[in-house]
Amino acid sequence: MTTVVLLGALCLLAVAGTAAAAETIGVVRTTSGDATVTRGEKTLPAVPGMKILVGDTLGTGPGGSLGIILRDDSSLSIGPGSRLVLRSFQFSPSKEKFNLVARITRGTMAYLSGLIGKLAPEKARFETPTATIGIRGTRFAVKVGAPPSR
Amino acid sequence: MQSKPPPPASRDIIVLLPDDQGKTGAIVVSSAGVERRLDRPGETVMVESGSPPGIPTVVPGPEARAIAGPALAALPKPPARFILYFKHDSVELTEESRAILKNVLVTIRERAPVDVSVVGHTDTVGKKGYNYALSLKRAKAVASILLGKGIDPSVLDITSHGKDNPLVPTGDQVSEPRNRRVEITVR
Repeated sequence: MTTVVLLGALCLLAVAGTAAAAETIGVVRTTSGDATVTRGEKTLPAVPGMKILVGDTLGTGPGGSLGIILRDDSSLSIGPGSRLVLRSFQFSPSKEKFNLVARITRGTMAYLSGLIGKLAPEKARFETPTATIGIRGTRFAVKVGAPPSR
Repeated sequence: MQSKPPPPASRDIIVLLPDDQGKTGAIVVSSAGVERRLDRPGETVMVESGSPPGIPTVVPGPEARAIAGPALAALPKPPARFILYFKHDSVELTEESRAILKNVLVTIRERAPVDVSVVGHTDTVGKKGYNYALSLKRAKAVASILLGKGIDPSVLDITSHGKDNPLVPTGDQVSEPRNRRVEITVR
């Protein structure tokens, strides 16, 4: 089951960005129970303050949850039994480069849009097993895989 | 006659919620070549694999929030931003801004642990170098008030943008009180 929750957001002012090598796209803010970040072959326990990179998979066991803030000041979280990949992320207002693609394959997620949702909402996309979601400056949630109706 | 069981079907639920200020945006849900737009608070749609999105329905607030309850509880709050103003060519805060600083402290305590950025700015009157130094002094003045109230120095990131990042765009050498500011962001 995947559930996606999307919320509206108001954001001011472009951030004076600084680039890091192996560019950080966000940071872990909240964790509870079994929560991990998988990067390539390695799976690490998620801890607040941990940097997030493009390609990272956020995962939780039963009873776990994990919340991150991305560089455009949007926030994203997953509930128990979830798996979500941050497939791409670009946020460079001075170069007009904006992009966010996340794919949830199981569990639940919530998203509160930030500057990308305000400046270039068409560049953000969320993929679930059944649908694609585009944002227009929002907070939304997704629950993957509820049993089909008869 | 099929001997294999059909592949497991998936049905996803997507719900639009207002933010903490009560503002609702919009989302577009696409599947099987059909797009559905949701723009009402609590508006919810179900999608079965291979099918277009179902007809959206509005779900009452508490029920809508419960659809992904733990995920929603884990969703970090957006950064809190504050703008403090100064008297002309000075590192002295205006009266109103002194009051805002109290809100900053409350927010820092409520959200701990946090990262706090303190960025100084000036208007465009004067030279770049002078304004860079002045805006840094402003940022440091604000930071020292925060430190005096017990905020841990390691959470503060103090920088300055001089005259390069006006809140209100003006030509050069234009006195603009709204640009003479320190911006505090609490993450």
